[in-house]
Amino acid sequence: MKTKKARIASAVYITLCFLFFYLPIAVTMFYSFNKSKSLTNFTGFSLTWYARLIEDGSIMKAVYVSITIAFFATILSTVLGTITAIGLSRCRKVLKDVILNVNNLPIMNPDIVTAIGLMILFSSIMFEKGYLTMLLSHIAFCTPYVITSVYPKVRNLDPNVAEAALDLGATPFQALTKVLLPMLKDGIFAGMLLAFTMSFDDFVISYFVTGNGVQNISIIVYNMTKRTNPTINALSTIVILVIALTLILINVTPAIVKNAMKYVTAGLVFIIVFVSVFTGMQGAQKTLRVYNAGEYVDPAMLEAFEQEYDCRVVYETFDSNESMYTKVKSGAEFDILIPSDYMIERLIQENMLQPLDWSLLTNADGLDPAIMGFAYDPDNTYSAPYFVGTVGILYDRTVVSEEDLKDGWELLRNEKYKGNLYMYDSERDSFMVALKALGYSMNTSDKEEIRQAYEWLLDQRDTMEVVYAGDDVIDNMISGNKALAVVYSGDAAYIMSENPDMGYLEPAEGTNEWCDGMVITDACNDTELAHQFINYMLSYDVAYANSAYVGYTSPILAVTEELAGTDFEGINSYAPDFGYGKNEVFRYQETEIKQYFADLWTKVKAY
Amino acid sequence: MKHFTRLVRPYIVWMVLIVVLPLLLIVLYSFTTGGNELVNIRFTLDNFKKIGEPIYFDVFKKSMLLGIVSVLICLVFGYTLAYMITKYSEKAQNFLILLVTIPMWINTLLRTYAWISILSDNGLLNRLLVLLGLEPATMMYTDAAVMLGLVSDMLPFMVIPIHTSIRKIDKSLIEASHDLGAGNFQTFWQVIFKMSIPGVINGVMMTFLLSISTFVIPKLLGGGQYMLIGNLIETQFISVGNWNFGSAISILLTLLIVIGISLMKKFDREEKEENG
Amino acid sequence: MKDAFIELKGLTKNFDSQQVLKGIDLTIYRNEFLTLLGPSGCGKTTTLRMIAGFEEPSGGEILFDGVDISKVPAYKREVNTVFQKYALFPFLNVFDNVAFGLKIKKMDKTVIEHKCMRMIELMGLKGFEKRDVSSLSGGQQQRVAIARALVNEPKVLLLDEPLGALDAKLRKEMQTELKRIQKEVGITFIFVTHDQEEALSMSDTVVVMNEGIIQQVGSPEDIYNEPENRFVASFIGDSNIIEAVMKKDLLVSFDGFDFDCVDKGFKDNENVEVVIRPEDIDLVKPEEAKLKGTVKTITFKGVHHEIIVETGNRDYLIHTTDYFEPGLEVGIRFGPDDIHVMYRMDWE
Repeated sequence: MKTKKARIASAVYITLCFLFFYLPIAVTMFYSFNKSKSLTNFTGFSLTWYARLIEDGSIMKAVYVSITIAFFATILSTVLGTITAIGLSRCRKVLKDVILNVNNLPIMNPDIVTAIGLMILFSSIMFEKGYLTMLLSHIAFCTPYVITSVYPKVRNLDPNVAEAALDLGATPFQALTKVLLPMLKDGIFAGMLLAFTMSFDDFVISYFVTGNGVQNISIIVYNMTKRTNPTINALSTIVILVIALTLILINVTPAIVKNAMKYVTAGLVFIIVFVSVFTGMQGAQKTLRVYNAGEYVDPAMLEAFEQEYDCRVVYETFDSNESMYTKVKSGAEFDILIPSDYMIERLIQENMLQPLDWSLLTNADGLDPAIMGFAYDPDNTYSAPYFVGTVGILYDRTVVSEEDLKDGWELLRNEKYKGNLYMYDSERDSFMVALKALGYSMNTSDKEEIRQAYEWLLDQRDTMEVVYAGDDVIDNMISGNKALAVVYSGDAAYIMSENPDMGYLEPAEGTNEWCDGMVITDACNDTELAHQFINYMLSYDVAYANSAYVGYTSPILAVTEELAGTDFEGINSYAPDFGYGKNEVFRYQETEIKQYFADLWTKVKAY
Repeated sequence: MKHFTRLVRPYIVWMVLIVVLPLLLIVLYSFTTGGNELVNIRFTLDNFKKIGEPIYFDVFKKSMLLGIVSVLICLVFGYTLAYMITKYSEKAQNFLILLVTIPMWINTLLRTYAWISILSDNGLLNRLLVLLGLEPATMMYTDAAVMLGLVSDMLPFMVIPIHTSIRKIDKSLIEASHDLGAGNFQTFWQVIFKMSIPGVINGVMMTFLLSISTFVIPKLLGGGQYMLIGNLIETQFISVGNWNFGSAISILLTLLIVIGISLMKKFDREEKEENG
Repeated sequence: MKDAFIELKGLTKNFDSQQVLKGIDLTIYRNEFLTLLGPSGCGKTTTLRMIAGFEEPSGGEILFDGVDISKVPAYKREVNTVFQKYALFPFLNVFDNVAFGLKIKKMDKTVIEHKCMRMIELMGLKGFEKRDVSSLSGGQQQRVAIARALVNEPKVLLLDEPLGALDAKLRKEMQTELKRIQKEVGITFIFVTHDQEEALSMSDTVVVMNEGIIQQVGSPEDIYNEPENRFVASFIGDSNIIEAVMKKDLLVSFDGFDFDCVDKGFKDNENVEVVIRPEDIDLVKPEEAKLKGTVKTITFKGVHHEIIVETGNRDYLIHTTDYFEPGLEVGIRFGPDDIHVMYRMDWE
């Protein structure tokens, strides 16, 4: 009945749809073989990122967490969901309706609300966050899906079936396992599959309820936003292939898979038991829990530390100081945190840190005096610098004239460069730019000054067609897409080493001098090991490796001088001008001012 | 058969602890101030009053609009795809639906990053444009980019329920319609579409939920200036640290969704009642 | 009065590589009640679906008043179908189901209302117009399905085993009902069934089919009394089918005896088969008949007894109102016109 034309049209449409589905996946796979770190510029084939993946302990651990959580959550929620569904069909109507409606809540509620509810729950009952909280949460959001896929099947069952089984002498338990379950097989399987997908792919809920170094793949990926790198593409390529193969096998040859399933399950259980015994044995060792920003350390250094001090480092990453704060505040325990200046000040004010014993930090001699004693921690009682830098304007020398550079921050309002600049998507950095341009302190609490800065940003937004970009600025500037961008000095160093056309300007009005520091929390018991870690990071060799790997400026003067002459030769942003009189460090803001900034920033962005 | 009623008891306990209690806590937070320490709480309605401010109201409006538009796009494209798939043999259908499912297994974040590689200023698409001798275009940080990311994330959730409901339609109903003089077009609207409404409603609910509460996709593809309800909540909890206000927004979002879904369910029921 | 209306000419149908219809030639007359009868898989439903337009023939023609319609889509044909499981639209109520076809034709609202209500009344469904179809009983759904088809005033109504899902009593009622409706609306009904009793009691013409071939076309009486081959004979009612030799016209030989009969036109000494219906056989004293045997079993069937008599050559099935003690010696007697001679088929 269908004409040939219609058939061709539908084939074309289906193909286009699948192209749309699979293009991103194909791109992900494609860049996993990229030689360079870029996710937009393919420079040549290599398997580097696969090698890096295998070496990277934290990613492998995340894979383990994702798989085991999904596995246990699937099994437990399937059992719970199935028995509940069977029980439901025999309940009184009122009870049934209540349960079904409540059961719908986690499905209907946005993930973020469920996540927040669970986070608040765990922190208010002081439940230590980690693997168990993540598992419980996954069971919580998977079970409703199992119930919704099993319950309709239960309702469609002939009610006499269970009775027939009992009549033939089966106990209720036998009736359940020998008769009802086999008849519900399809529904249960569908529920299981759904639960596994949901659990394996979950980000939002896991993100809010985890702690203590337990991270799944999604969290690792999210924290990499700071600096994406193709290891994650390599990982997803493997995940995609495994999933596609499994699903195709299940659908093409169900019989084989049925048998294989047993072995896979047995194997998985074995691995899980093995790994937990193994990690349990490791538990006897000293452990150090470190919380740092994503992509902010050379992982080889962590392994070397573990070897040297015969301990285990539980290393977890965050995507912003604020999320770090929220995590710690809501019960996640760490020994060492590596936050930024103003956040350190806040932690000090809230008595969340222990003072450092500088006598144990023998490598402290190498620290650059210019970056010590900043206002957030005037005597460095609590913090030892980890990386330092400034914020400045990255400009394309081939586009931006020398003359215009004299404008300083006002360069960002020069209409010559309309539509040709990136602002950094960060509330504090954007207001810093505006306040400095207006000649105010970036730590002002004068609402009038802040309001003027807000007007400045609004004006800039409307006249300049600003894009508030995240870390893709790095890739985009390497390719010279826009002429101007507000960037951190460390990122500028990396960009300039890739694209020699770029220059880095620290405006004369002054800028943000920032310093990320290592601090010891009041939850830390093994302060000796914590000091050993800090001292280790301050040693010349480690600081050198770290700085070369990450690209940010080391606080160790000798390292900076050495790298400025070798790897980062001619790149002024690697050795920024510390101590310039008009520069400031961020200070912690009072809640009221903070909220004021936040509201204005929302207004700037939400138009 | 009383034996089996007892089976629901463990779940009731579980549900109270891990579903109901957290929600109550959010409600508590939304009506109090005093930050994250439960010790010095004070009841207030300020958190809700604040939502009434124009910027926050605009965020809600924008989220709703984006949600509705992206759901409609998903509906049109998803329905077409689902319908076309049902025209193939059983075996081919299973395979095609499998292909629709596979992307759902792959991390949303990863797929979103991939879209960045495709859409960014020097991404795949722009390179292609340059190769073709065309002007490159800025695609990142636009409504279109966010919409694209959302649709690609949500489309499978629309296709699958619709496909299931079309596939379930008794072939004899379609024959009956032809038999009674309805052409292909009429049969589609009078029979197939009407029979697939449960699937459509399912799909619309799923995608609406996803689109209204998302915060990762707009953040990555829309850039920092892209503020939706999800982003607002995330900011309040993570960067601003105002859990009370964040909870109030969450409660409002939940209410919005409950109302939206009840309306859809009511529509579904009325549709049925109206026709019998 | 017989006026050729639908003609099927050399109709074939292949599904994949399998030929399910192997050349059907059939003429259907105006206003007749024709039944396609056969076991499942015989091709009767396929034939019906091709007339309806749901299947395209692989070969052959379907003529309506002499015009080939085998390429005309279903929705343009002046036929309507009552489906096996009714295929009522679950999202429409009784009235809207019935009105579906008329609304498609964009008829005037008042006309639709009038026609549908009349049809609903005719079907005895008055008062149910607003009811949800799923709340109706099987018999009521059946009537809705018929009303929905008939309201379009088709020239032919096709019924695909419509009574299959009903219980025995309702079935009987609907048989009479259908016959009445057919008389009342005065159009051609083509009815598909595998139930021979249903076919015989309702039809003007019965078409017996098996394995994609028409076995016999005729009135119910012809089909019953003069089956053309072993298949028809065994499919329609119980019967004794006996291999025999036609000595010459009016004389047939089996079980060692020659019998007078009324059939002729066979070759002399041709191998044939003989059908004797069980109710045509009388049991008499052994000395009064050529064939003798012993009563093996006797079963009470309500109106009659079913008796199996064992003879040297075979068991005979006999229906009689009298009672015979098992083990009793009896004679088996039948008259010349009780013997029906058929061509012997090689296909079995």
